[in-house]
Formats: sequence, structure tokens, C-alpha cells
Amino acid sequence: MRQSYTAVIERNIWWQGVSATEPYEAAWAQEALFFIRVLEQRHVQVPISFQVQISPDGMHWCNEGSVLLIDPDVGVTFARVKHFGGWLRLQGEIPPEAALKVLVYINLKE
Amino acid sequence: MTSPFFSHPDLSRFDPLSRIICYDDFDQGLQGWTALIGNYEDSLDSILPGFRDLRPPMLSNASFWDTGTAGSAMGNYAMKLATRPEAGSLAVGIKRLTFRHKGPIRLETYFTFKPEAQALRLSDTDMGSIGVLFDLQDEQHRVMPHLRYLNAADGQLHQQWQFKRHRVPVESIGGTGQTVSHFHLSSEDWENVPGGRQKLCYNEIATKQNWYYLRVGFDLSSMAFTEFQCNDHHFDVTALAPMMMPAMANLWCMLNIAFWAEAAKDCRSFLYVDSVLLSGDF
Repeated sequence: MRQSYTAVIERNIWWQGVSATEPYEAAWAQEALFFIRVLEQRHVQVPISFQVQISPDGMHWCNEGSVLLIDPDVGVTFARVKHFGGWLRLQGEIPPEAALKVLVYINLKE
Repeated sequence: MTSPFFSHPDLSRFDPLSRIICYDDFDQGLQGWTALIGNYEDSLDSILPGFRDLRPPMLSNASFWDTGTAGSAMGNYAMKLATRPEAGSLAVGIKRLTFRHKGPIRLETYFTFKPEAQALRLSDTDMGSIGVLFDLQDEQHRVMPHLRYLNAADGQLHQQWQFKRHRVPVESIGGTGQTVSHFHLSSEDWENVPGGRQKLCYNEIATKQNWYYLRVGFDLSSMAFTEFQCNDHHFDVTALAPMMMPAMANLWCMLNIAFWAEAAKDCRSFLYVDSVLLSGDF
């Protein structure tokens, strides 16, 4: 049976300005899904892009190419990733005056 | 008599009591270890502040920027508890069981810890503390034995094992009267284990890590510590005591085990657990 694990990597926190999830190690997994559930929002007028990022060391990051589009009118949004090496995170920027209160999940599978 | 476990390639490095309650080798996955959250009612905003952002466990192969993958003590993967880069941030991994016999139990683990290697320096005071706890309940009491290794605080090395017997008051959560909570991992009220100063093998730079052996014994009948060992140090447990409080409404026979890491500075602190063996005499 294939291993899988879901971690809640942000819980009930407000994102403002440049925001990123904490580095999450995923070398054992072949595939990952990020989910963002928006709990509350302030002054978010348009969908906001968050980049999936990968890293060789958990400290230095580059865009993987996948984008998670957070539409404040949609409860849950996701991004699907494969072939990501050892670390994963999400990074994006909330526009000035706007804020999002989120739950962020990473779902990993062998 | 030679232990029947000595000939088992995975178990021969442990000294379990007569029955194995659980054996978790993190090469096989996270094995039932999960994140800790504080109690809540109706809204996550009702969680006590200290419980709101306990970071979750992950599987790590201990890869470093300068040398690549180190792996774990006996394989490739370990459970990693990583704090945020904020002083006081905590990461917790917990496993929730119940007990079937009120007798001696023994927790054994191979573990190590390091700060994140952000600086090309020794960084040995960046790592705050690591700890281990049981959370138990019998007919009369909820009992919470807590031990931690205070590596550093306020820029000073302490290298001191500590225990906690005093606790903060239990608070009511929400409005129904059914939910209570108390932040037992707070940084206050820790007391030094007598003779509990121990220098571990930090090893020169932030990207070298050596693995340690830890053993904690507790008696579920007397609700007292029975043994405490880290590597070659055997500590006197006669002065140690757990936090105790009246039994709660829905925790009968609870047997939880948890590990945590705490950041001393605005730098991530990492606890790595290679494997855990919980055994009992029954």
C-alpha cells in the first residue's frame, strides 16, 4: 500500500504582504497537492497567485512553475505537483490593504 | 538471561520491557504520529494562544546544503519537528494510545537536534530545547510527566535536563462548559533534574548530527517516574514528579506520547526522531 500523509501547514492565520508557508520536507513522496481554504478575507478584489517553490536545502528557493490561484469567492483551491525533490513551500504576495485568513494543507503520496 | 530482542536487527539496540506496545521506525512512514492542536469550541480562535501554531511533524532524510543527505540513525528517514524561525516557536509530534494495564512502561528513542544552518558558524546556542512527555489518566487523575533538554536560552548554553510539576490553571474554552484547556508546554516552571547537566555531541557545525539514545520509564500504577537515561547518563528520578490534576471527563486510560522542539532565537530549531519504542510489563 502506498504511504500518504496530510499536514496542516498553516492554520487559521492571516496572510498579509509577502507570505510563504514554512519549508516542508517531502523527499519520500512522488506527488503532492497543496490546498488552501480561505476562512476570511479583507479587501481581496481579484484572485491572488501563489507560486509552488522547491529548494535543494530548505533555505534557498526557486519557482517550480505550478501556480495556485486563490479566488476569495471559492472556498478551496489547489495546486498539483510532481518531481519536486526534497522541499516544498508556497510563496505569494497579498496586495496592500488586503488580507486572507487561511488553512493550508499539503497532501503527499508515495 | 539474554533478551529475546537482542537477535532482532531492528530491536537489538533497544531494551524493551516484556511487551512492545508500539515500535515506530520512521523509515516506514510517520506511523501514527501527528500534529498537536489545542482544544476549541465553535471557532479556532478559541484555542489558547500557546496551542495555536504548534508546527506539524514531517519525514526528513536530513539533507544539508553543504554535504547532502545524512539520513537517519538506522535508515534514511526520521520524524522531524521544525519550529518557525521565531523565538519560542514550538513543533510537536504526538501519538495517542490508551493503556490496558496499570504497570511499568518504558519509552526509548534515538534522536538528535540541530538549528537550521542559516549561518556559517557554530550556532550551538540557536537551538532552544527538545522535550518528551506522557499524557495519562487513571480513575482519579490526569498525569503529565514532562522532561526537556534545555540546550540554550538568551544566548547562553544550559545543556540541562529539566522536569515540570507545576502547571498553569485549566481554562474553560467556549461557552458550553464541556471543553477546557491548559498550556502545559509553556516555558515557565521548569525545574532542573538533579545532576541533570549533560553535554551532548553537538559536533562542530550546524550540519553534522550525531544520534542519541533516550529512555524514560514511568509506572502507571504509582504514577511516578521509574527511570531516565540519555546515552551513558542515568539520572536519579526520586525527586522528579509529573504535573497532576483531577481526572477529566473523557480521557480514561489515556496514554499519549509526544516530542517537541522549541526555538531559542529567530532561527528554526529541528528535532529528529529516528525511531520510538514503547514497551510495558504486562
